Amino acid sequence: MKGPAALEGTTRARLGAFGFLTDTTLCIGCKACEVACKQWNQLPMDDFGFTGMSYDNTGDLGATTWRHVAFIERISDREGRRPTTLAPFQSNWLMLSDVCKHCVHAGCMEACPTGAIIRTEFDTVVIQQDICNGCGYCVPACPFGVPALSPLDGKAHKCTLCYDRLKDGLEPACAKACPTDAIQFGPVHALMDRARARVSELRTQGVEARIYGDQALGGTGGIGGLNAFFILTAPPEVYNLPAKPELPQRRVLPAFLTTALAALALGIATLFSFRRVGRMQHG
Amino acid sequence: MAELRSWRHRRAPGEPIGAATRESYYGLPVIHGPHWHWPIVFYFLLGGLAGGSAVLAAAARLLGGRSARPVVRAGRYLAFLAILPGPLLLIVDLGRPERFHHMLRVIKLRSPMSLGVWGLIAFSLSAFLNALRQAVDDGFFGRSHRLVRGFQQLPDRALAIASTVPAFFLAGYTGVLLGATAVPLWARNALLLGPLFLCSALSSAAATLSLLLTRRSQNDRAEQALAQVEFLALTGEVALLEAVHRKSGPVIGRPLRHGAEGRAFAGARATTAAALALHGLALLLPRRWRQRLELPASILALAGAFLLRATMVFGGHRSADDPAATFALTRSDE
Repeated sequence: MKGPAALEGTTRARLGAFGFLTDTTLCIGCKACEVACKQWNQLPMDDFGFTGMSYDNTGDLGATTWRHVAFIERISDREGRRPTTLAPFQSNWLMLSDVCKHCVHAGCMEACPTGAIIRTEFDTVVIQQDICNGCGYCVPACPFGVPALSPLDGKAHKCTLCYDRLKDGLEPACAKACPTDAIQFGPVHALMDRARARVSELRTQGVEARIYGDQALGGTGGIGGLNAFFILTAPPEVYNLPAKPELPQRRVLPAFLTTALAALALGIATLFSFRRVGRMQHG
Repeated sequence: MAELRSWRHRRAPGEPIGAATRESYYGLPVIHGPHWHWPIVFYFLLGGLAGGSAVLAAAARLLGGRSARPVVRAGRYLAFLAILPGPLLLIVDLGRPERFHHMLRVIKLRSPMSLGVWGLIAFSLSAFLNALRQAVDDGFFGRSHRLVRGFQQLPDRALAIASTVPAFFLAGYTGVLLGATAVPLWARNALLLGPLFLCSALSSAAATLSLLLTRRSQNDRAEQALAQVEFLALTGEVALLEAVHRKSGPVIGRPLRHGAEGRAFAGARATTAAALALHGLALLLPRRWRQRLELPASILALAGAFLLRATMVFGGHRSADDPAATFALTRSDE
């Protein structure tokens, strides 16, 4: 994960932007954030069953799951042996409360053909439910797998960063409920300063900590940073996060250019083919 | 409510959990896949057919002279008829079909779907006008009515020229739309999908038109032109299918090699290659043999166009579900 070191801990977020810092080193996996989110946003329950792989029985972010606590049990090394030592200040459990990243440049928002997905005055990304017509283009356009279509109402849903609570000067429900302050809410730049300090503190303690959601990791490829970002202690793939995602809309102009070139070539080929029809007739 | 979200995790029975956690999160998908199914496959196919037909009709109208008139007529009608179900297929596919008109609130230049909506409207309008002009010329509405005489004043050549831009757009934008997502198979081939869909659109339109016109075969020269266009477009299609195969690589290209999508992709490559080979053979043979080869070649080209669209749409589902493919796309920093 060696990005250009100059980009580490930087973000292109606007000065007034609000977001989350989710510090996985403080997370105890209690899932209070999941519950608080469901309660405040009145989201129905999901599959009520066991996944059979870890304490994570939520599985994934979805239309009715806007916080998801991932559990990674590091029970074996590459040879399949159980570890005999512990990393400093760490257990062999990694826990991460995943959430919509509220990207500085959001793929879902740029993809949305109805303008239902907007950037709010808090610089968060929100799907307007009275506009969304369920085309589903935002779903594969998100590099992090956040928005999803709900089978209940056919529309796309995701975390709103508690837009209604922010309007009333309250912090989002998940951050409010988090008992260890692993989820911190605030202005993105202040949170980024805090994250940089926390990462260097962890590194002096011997923990392999890194920010996920700056311009070096997670907020790469034209995304410009994530307004909801994380402190991780393992490579992002371990948490099911892409290391260097790209804003999908970056490919639109080049792809249209190659398509236009192909159209030109095929148009000339077609004209050439029919020109001989006319010639044969006159000749 | 238990069936609201289907929970599938991909650990093979008997395999230790550690194996799945080393490279991914228990083998779960990183991104969410698209929900697009058969309506979109048929929309892609019909959109390509309509766009290709409009291009062929325009070229035949501009340069083909009198002997190409059957191509103009069939091409204009086919373009109009093929695009008629297009908007319906798209609306059926929406989660909230009654809100389809929300697409008309905005134009977003970086959203291929938004551009596509407006392109579809522009194409439908031009296809309608071209078909109307053709119907008036063919005397469908009589000759005497004032309105009919008014329609005959529609500039024929200008209509043909004006139809080419939205026609090419309609045939190609779908590839750009797929490429502008996080789905690894589509994203990796973003630059190739538009040209590939264009070639396939033109070859399938030429194939359909020659199948339609072949029965009343008094028109050898125009059919030769169609066969030649089909040959050239198929050449591009075969080359681009190979390019997609190579560019996808061993990990991202998995859906192109395994399962039903893999068989469909192999089928698409085989049918387009066979169609190309038959057309190439037909060019070498005496005229009376040609038709016997060009007929199966056209059918094969159509089958290839269908298989290509199905492979790309459903292969996208497979690709989105594969965490290794997403990581192969997003880890490429070295």
